Formats: sequence, C-alpha cells, structure tokens
Amino acid sequence: MHKAWALVRSNWLAATSYKLSFLFSFGSLILSVVPIFFISGALQKTMADVIKGQGDQYFAFLVLGLIALNVVSAAVSALPSGLQTATSTGTLEALLATPTSIASLLAGLSGYEVLLSLLRGLVMLVAAGLLGAHVAWPRIGASIPIVVLVVLAHLPIAIVAAAMVLAFRTRGPLPQLVMLASTFLGGVYYPTTVIPGWIESISAFLPLTYGLKALRAVLLEGRSLTAVWRDVSILIGFTVVTLAASAVAFRAALGYARRVGNLAQY
Amino acid sequence: MALGRANLRRRLVIEQSTLASTGAIAFVTPAAARSPAVVLRGLTKSFPRQRGWRAMFSGKARESVRALTDVSCEVRAGEFFGLLGENGAGKTTLFKILATLVTPDAGSAVVGGHDVLKAPSRVRELLAPVIADERSLHWRLSGRENMRLFAALHGLRGAQATRRIEELLALVNLVDAADRLVSGYSSGMKQRLLVARTLLARPSVLLLDEPTRSLDPISARSFRQFLRQDVALAQGCTVLLATHNAEEAFELCDRVGVLHRGRLVATGATPELAREVGEDRFAIWIRPADQAAIDTLAARGVMREVKVAEADADGWSRVECDLRGGLDGAAEAIAFLSLRGVSVARSEPVKLSLADLLERVLARHTDA
Repeated sequence: MHKAWALVRSNWLAATSYKLSFLFSFGSLILSVVPIFFISGALQKTMADVIKGQGDQYFAFLVLGLIALNVVSAAVSALPSGLQTATSTGTLEALLATPTSIASLLAGLSGYEVLLSLLRGLVMLVAAGLLGAHVAWPRIGASIPIVVLVVLAHLPIAIVAAAMVLAFRTRGPLPQLVMLASTFLGGVYYPTTVIPGWIESISAFLPLTYGLKALRAVLLEGRSLTAVWRDVSILIGFTVVTLAASAVAFRAALGYARRVGNLAQY
Repeated sequence: MALGRANLRRRLVIEQSTLASTGAIAFVTPAAARSPAVVLRGLTKSFPRQRGWRAMFSGKARESVRALTDVSCEVRAGEFFGLLGENGAGKTTLFKILATLVTPDAGSAVVGGHDVLKAPSRVRELLAPVIADERSLHWRLSGRENMRLFAALHGLRGAQATRRIEELLALVNLVDAADRLVSGYSSGMKQRLLVARTLLARPSVLLLDEPTRSLDPISARSFRQFLRQDVALAQGCTVLLATHNAEEAFELCDRVGVLHRGRLVATGATPELAREVGEDRFAIWIRPADQAAIDTLAARGVMREVKVAEADADGWSRVECDLRGGLDGAAEAIAFLSLRGVSVARSEPVKLSLADLLERVLARHTDA
C-alpha cells in the first residue's frame, strides 16, 4: 500500500507540475455542467415518467450518469495507459527492477487517474448541486462503497487491457467495447428499461447498469445501502469472478513478456 | 617475459577447465578467492524474430535469434567486472536476465545465492540495474522526489528514507540541484541521479549498462572515478559494467569478459588481458619511411599488420604494427632500421580500441 501510494503521489506531483493545465481542467469541468443543466431542463418533461424511481429530476439523473461514466472510463483506461506511458517514457523497467509486487505497481500506476476522476466527480456533483440538482447529500457516505465497487468491477477489464499492452503493445478491443456499451446501454443518459428488445439484455452484463441503479437510489432517492443490496451483490460477484480471471491473464502476459523480452520495450 | 607467458598459459589452462562448456578463453584466474556474487551456468536465451505480414498469416513457426549461448562465468563479491562486446553481443540481455526482466531459455543465473527464476524478488533486493537511459527518470519530478519515490519502492520509510536520500544526494553532488525538476538537469547530473537512485537500497550487486555513453569525455572520466571510488570501493558493491569502451573497461575493471554473438569468448584479469592481446602493438616514428626496410622486417616476421601513415611536415612517419616479442621485437626493429640509416624518434605501445581488442580475442578464440 505504501509503495502504491508513493507512485500515486509521484503521478500527482508530475501532473500538478503543469499548474495551468491542471487548473484549466477543473475550470472546464465546472463550466461543462452549465450546458447539461439547460439541456436536461429542456428534456425534463419528456424524461419525467421514464426516470421515475431514480430521482425525479433529469438534471441530477444525467449528471450522476456522466460522473459514473467518467469514473468507469478512468477505471478501465488508467491502468493500460499508465503502463503504456511508463513503457514509452522508460520508467517501467526501473519500476519492475525494484522489489515491488505487481499488485502494488498496478495500483500505483492507475491510482492517480482513478482518484482524480473521483475528485472531478465530486466537484461536478457540487457544481450541479449549486445549480439546483436534487442530491441527498447526507447519503454521500453510503455512496462511497458503491463507487468503490463500480471501480473494482471495471478493474478486471483494465487488467486484461494492461496484459495486452504488456504482451502485444495494444489494449485490444475490450476497453473500447465496454465503454461503448456502458455509454449507450449502461443507463447513463436514460434508464436501461427504455432500451428496446434484445439489446436491453446486453445491459444486464454491464457492471455500470447495477452501479448506476444503486448510486441513483442512494444519492437521488435517499435510500440506504441495504435497500440496494441486490445491485451491490451483483457488483461484488462480478468483481470476484472477473478479477480472478484477469489476474490469471495478467500473470500469463507477464511471463510471455519476460520470455520474448519485450517487457520494457516500446 | 618467457616465464610470464608460460605462467599465463598455465593459468589459461586452469580457468579453461572451469569454462570448458563455453569454449571461452580465460587469460588468468583471479588472485582473490572471494565468494561468488554472481554465478552464470550455461545461460542461453533466444528471442523470436519480428515477422512480416505474410509470415504472420502463413502459419509458419516464428524464427528466433540467439542472444546468449551457453554463457558460464563467476563474478566474485566486491569485484568490478567488465562485459565487453559489440552491439548485439548479448550484454544487455545478460543484464536483463540478472535483473529478472527476461527469463532465460536454459541454464541458471544465481545472484547472492538466489536463482533469478526461483527467487526473483530476493534477487531484486540484492541487485540493482543502473538503467543508464535518462528516460527512466521521472522528468517532471525533482531529483529529491525521484529519490523519494524509489526509496518507498525499496521499502525505506520516514527518517530512514530521508537520511539515505540526503546521504546519496551528497555523494553524487546533487544537493544544490535536488529540488529542481529533472527535466532541467544535464546528462551528467541525470547519470549521477540514476546511480544515486540505484544505491538507495544498498544493493550488493550493481549492473551498469554503458553508463557513460551520453557523457562528454571529461564528464565521463570524472564519472568513472566516481564509480570506482565512491560506488565500488566505498559502498563495497560488486559491479558488472557493460561497455563498448575498452579504455573504460581497462581503467575500471578488475576483470573483463568478452561477449561475441552471445558467447563468452574470453574472461580475464584486465591488465593481463590487455597485455596478452595488446602488448605487441607498437607505434614507431621513423624518417624517412623506408618501405623496403619495413618490407624486410615484415618478411622476417618481426613486423605484422603494418600501417604506415603519411609523413608530417618534418618528414616523420608513424608506423603502427605488431612486433613479434613485444619490447624485444621493438629493439630488434629499431636496431635494424638504424643500420639502414633510418632515424627512429620514438617507439611506444598502442592502446587497443574495442574493435582491435575484439578482433584479437576472436582470432585467439578461433585458434583455440
């Protein structure tokens, strides 16, 4: 943990060494809430019936969906892109030559981006709150385990993509497919119940579907964690099964990279 | 001289028996019988060759290129061991195997009693590669922050980490620049920071892969002094140095090994190796450049591999050649030239370039 945190801290220091860029990224994030506010306001009447039971305000529904999507995007891409950056900048070889476990290295390489996405999500939620989004603020604490589970449930996809980067220098199609499916079928812009026909069944295989349902129930409806136990259980099950499989894939990729000698080549 | 050669040959036979499987020529056995820090036995590694599009879809088995073949060698604790060889000789592959970044196909590599395949994490605690590539530093962090990160990765914490970092920054003379971003460092400063970073965990074995390749000659010389005095002697590290630079190897190393196309073709104590393969090479300044006299000496077998440079403004020509019998041969050649009325101004041994050294070692290897 100490080693992973040291990597996260160094990534934070490197990112904040570009001070203006760092400040602008937060400024533009806050500004991005404004058009969402007006567009969702215009669609409120159309969406009111559809989003019943997931908060009654489309602005809050949409903001929470976008925040979750950003967190998922960071969870899926931070690790492979961290690994790609470490390979191309030449730091990976030095990191791998230290007595640091692979789990710590992976957590350290991806941790900053994931934590940053959570911070950005919080900033976006506060900005939306200031614009009048109906958020059950006392339930923020209860939402934290759900957010953590959403991140963990997407980590296996990131680990498989990182394994692909390690072995073949490409993330492969999995992260893009998952992001595409999550964006349109995970309940970000509309509840999954409105998706027509067999396509809706795809959403049942997306962790974001359950994560968003649970998050909206807690943060927009003010329900407790026990009220969303079903969605939370599915997220836990998804995480346990896929994490074990992805760990096997990563170990195999690491062995392959060590055999063919491309562990630190770019 | 004759006695010295006989001794060398006897010692050559002794060490050859330990390296019989490699066919490597060993020039001398080391005097000190210290315990081995690194032991290589029959180390072999091939890499798959890059395929073209057609080969990729043809289903043909991937061709491979041999990087190391049956490399066996021991490096003793506290020794400064040079690894010489041209590009692609296998030096970096050998280092990557020792650093647990590449797995060997056959054979074993043991560092401080731990096998790189069976106990890689123990090996990583004992051995540290100085990755001379400046890119391996975090350029957007200060020198001190780079050190802090790697101190944490080596398990150092709190006051212990701070003390070690300050100690090493002082050692590499970077205290004043420690809070500046590494992107603003010169190449020499980056190299020193790389070494300091590597010394954080007090490794017992250091791997240096061409550490002076991006340094100017003056910085390279001071860096070599630093390596010898402050790293190898003061820190008590065993150092393995891969280099293209024969001068660097001879200046720094107790022993060197010569890799050629993945095979260790020679190992030996540095002064003996230099003498063995380079003692006969001389430069003589003569006036006039009497080609007939030179041809006669060559015909008698006194001179070989003769290169006569153009005469300078004063008529002196530099003649570089192998002289049979070293100094005895030089005396014979000078006496002959003097009898022919040729003035001889100076005669001195020539330092070998890496190319010359390799050529000679390989010639001997082929003869053996």
